[in-house]
Amino acid sequence: MADNSSDVLPGREARAHLDHFATAEQQRNTAMAGMWIFLVTEIMMFGGLFMAYAVYRLGHPQAFASASRDMNIVLGAVNTAILITSSFTMALAAQAAEEGLLRPAKWLLAATILIGIVFLGIKFVEYYQHYRDHKAPGFGFQTNLPDPGGIQMFYIFYFAMTGLHAVHMIVGIGLLAALLIMTELGRFSREYHSPVVITGLYWGFVDIVWVFLFAIFYLPGLHLHG
Amino acid sequence: MIAAPEITERNYLTGKEGVLSWLLTTDHKRIGLLYVASITAFFFIGGLFALLMRLELLTPPSDLVSPETYNKLFSMHGIIMVWFFLIPSIPATLGNFVVPMMIGARDLAFPKLNLASWYLFNLGGIVTLYAILRGGVDTGWTFYTPLSTTYSTTYVIAAAAGIFISGFSSILTGLNFIATIHGMRCPGLTWFRLPLFIWGMYASSLIFVIATPVLAITLLMVAVERIFQVGIFDPALGGDPLLFQHMFWFYSHPAVYIMVLPAMAVVSELVSTFSRRPVFGYKAVAFSSLGIALVGFLVWGHHMFVSGQSIYSALAFSLLSYLVAIPSAIKVFNWTATFYKGSISWDTPMLYAIGFIGLFTIGGITGLFLAALGLDVHVTDTYFVVAHFHYIMVGGAVMAYLGGIHYWWPKISGRMYPEGLAKLAALTVFLGFNLTFFPQFILGYLGMPRRYAAYPPEFQVLHVLSTAGASILGVGYVLPLCYLIWAWRYAPKAPPNPWRATGLEWKTPSPPSVHNFDETPVVNYGAYDYEALKGELGLG
Amino acid sequence: MAEPTVARKIYLRAYAGLLSLTLLTTLLAFVNMGWFNTVAALMIAVTQALLIGGIFMHALYETALVRVILAGGVLWFLILITLTMTDYLTRSR
Repeated sequence: MADNSSDVLPGREARAHLDHFATAEQQRNTAMAGMWIFLVTEIMMFGGLFMAYAVYRLGHPQAFASASRDMNIVLGAVNTAILITSSFTMALAAQAAEEGLLRPAKWLLAATILIGIVFLGIKFVEYYQHYRDHKAPGFGFQTNLPDPGGIQMFYIFYFAMTGLHAVHMIVGIGLLAALLIMTELGRFSREYHSPVVITGLYWGFVDIVWVFLFAIFYLPGLHLHG
Repeated sequence: MIAAPEITERNYLTGKEGVLSWLLTTDHKRIGLLYVASITAFFFIGGLFALLMRLELLTPPSDLVSPETYNKLFSMHGIIMVWFFLIPSIPATLGNFVVPMMIGARDLAFPKLNLASWYLFNLGGIVTLYAILRGGVDTGWTFYTPLSTTYSTTYVIAAAAGIFISGFSSILTGLNFIATIHGMRCPGLTWFRLPLFIWGMYASSLIFVIATPVLAITLLMVAVERIFQVGIFDPALGGDPLLFQHMFWFYSHPAVYIMVLPAMAVVSELVSTFSRRPVFGYKAVAFSSLGIALVGFLVWGHHMFVSGQSIYSALAFSLLSYLVAIPSAIKVFNWTATFYKGSISWDTPMLYAIGFIGLFTIGGITGLFLAALGLDVHVTDTYFVVAHFHYIMVGGAVMAYLGGIHYWWPKISGRMYPEGLAKLAALTVFLGFNLTFFPQFILGYLGMPRRYAAYPPEFQVLHVLSTAGASILGVGYVLPLCYLIWAWRYAPKAPPNPWRATGLEWKTPSPPSVHNFDETPVVNYGAYDYEALKGELGLG
Repeated sequence: MAEPTVARKIYLRAYAGLLSLTLLTTLLAFVNMGWFNTVAALMIAVTQALLIGGIFMHALYETALVRVILAGGVLWFLILITLTMTDYLTRSR
């Protein structure tokens, strides 16, 4: 077990580190720092939308509460649980890759992808329902509730923010699919697995964003009028 | 006189031949040069718009172009100069080239991302040029709503898309620099032994990664409102146009520090080398870079003093704007103190550095005028503001860029440049600049609004002076373009360290080899330790 | 190699915690606590974020630099929201 090459599929040499780094450790730490910096840029990008939401909610508290009551809390909560599960499987997949256990990694990546697709499926169902209920701004939006401007603003942000989130999910699923292929081809090992870990960071971040989206879109009005 | 050595055959320029080896390079030095080509092209395109504007402003009526066209001219001038010249300029060219060498590394942390940055930049540029060719945008570079979202009939979305794409180029560059500076310093190179250029690039990179994403989402929201006709910023639907301004300026104020911090970073190097003294108050200057970056995020409301924001908010932003001037002032004082009892050389880079210090000071102080609420009510949206920011961005940042290009030219090209002609160009730039923009302070103070094609006849003399200055300034910019292209082939070859500067980049041959260093350097002295390096530098 | 290893048990506990918090926040949303509803929902969301970030994404096990980067991002988001709010909260309507 002292010989690391036993973790590597035959025909593929374990990679030490890229040319411009001094050591594998330096490469790994730098790549990790780079990914976290990228996540900070994502925090700021979504952050702008969260800030705008906060401004408008401050201006239209009743409208946002009423609009939020029409969201499907069951689907929302279920989707939250689903996405958390996918973060769990992703974390396990990354750990499997770190340990050079490619078969479990493969299955866990596949599970993450599948769960992600289910999440998107549910979101699509919700979107379609909103569209049918004339709650899609720009596509025949109509409401009888008081402060229609505020109601529409809620839905604009709902679609914009969950939409941007969904785009990130789709990109994430694409990345995971690529990782799945690479795992199948034996490209990862105990020595080289950072793409899996880094994608795991991305996936975890997308989950964190959703947790906040759930809190601000599905929960606000439920405590009023029961 | 140090004998000029042979240019080694296999340096980064000659290593791999062919167009593809350049277009697919991951060598930070080649990428830096690719950026020089791109931003130079955009600089002259943006300059062309400026020329047309200044020609129009020679006479009071809007006779050369219609007011509608004039709106497009200043919008395109601003967009191109801000996003396709100033923001990338020093970081993507000099930063890319010098940062790895200055820290003893073989390349940046993520060389392929670096190349991707360049492609994204050009893609953004092409989309923006498309918008220009289809008729341009008339919203100003500031894209205020509801003009941009609702009423403008110009190519807003295309322009916003071009800027959005180039924003990712910036983000990746900043990300690369931060990771590199943290993780790839050579042994012995602790933070406080780093040249101040690195501190400045690091601080700018912080702004890149924190501010640019907010611009991205803001432009996206404008596009969404415009495409789907949904009123995110529309008061009729309960929206607030000021929200756009808050989000836009949250990025755009720090953006101006993205433009000036790298320039200050260059100036620190120039001031030290050409006084042959360590920069006075190293730690103060280093921390002031961070201070500017951080406090720079807290002042954006000073662009909105007359917009209708809360007066209490305005008070807070005014006070914070005064505070942010302090670290800048620290730098100016410390550079000046560096000159004291220094051994001054008057080479071209030094001329640009001195020009920077003087002109930046004027620009910075007039910023304080504008930060005063009462005064701002009168001079906001006048030529006073225009003069203020051009003093910093052109008198400051562009001059520092030119100074840096000349300074590192021997390293980049392996050759010198014609010093006499370069000095003449620097002088031309300085005189042309002041003649262009000083009259604008007076114009603004007298009440001439910005973004107007037509004006009352009593302002004409000042406008004529300004246009005359602009022509001279233009000549001053064309000169280096010409002689540097000439120098690339025909100037005398340069030694590794023609300026006898400290800094690891000067320990490489001119031009450097592909991997910069054959052996990783080990550093056990401070950044400007002329004493310790006396023997090596051949100083008495 | 320098990968921090996290025991699978810890992942499992974090997962259980996250699901419980999801249930909790959903149920609490139906209880009328006035302005505290929003606070509670956000606090739970922050806790969930810490669990996902700290454990699934290893932030608790990484170098201090990573945590500083993360803290910086959060701080700047807070600056964006707070300083903008000073306008909206102090306008005379």
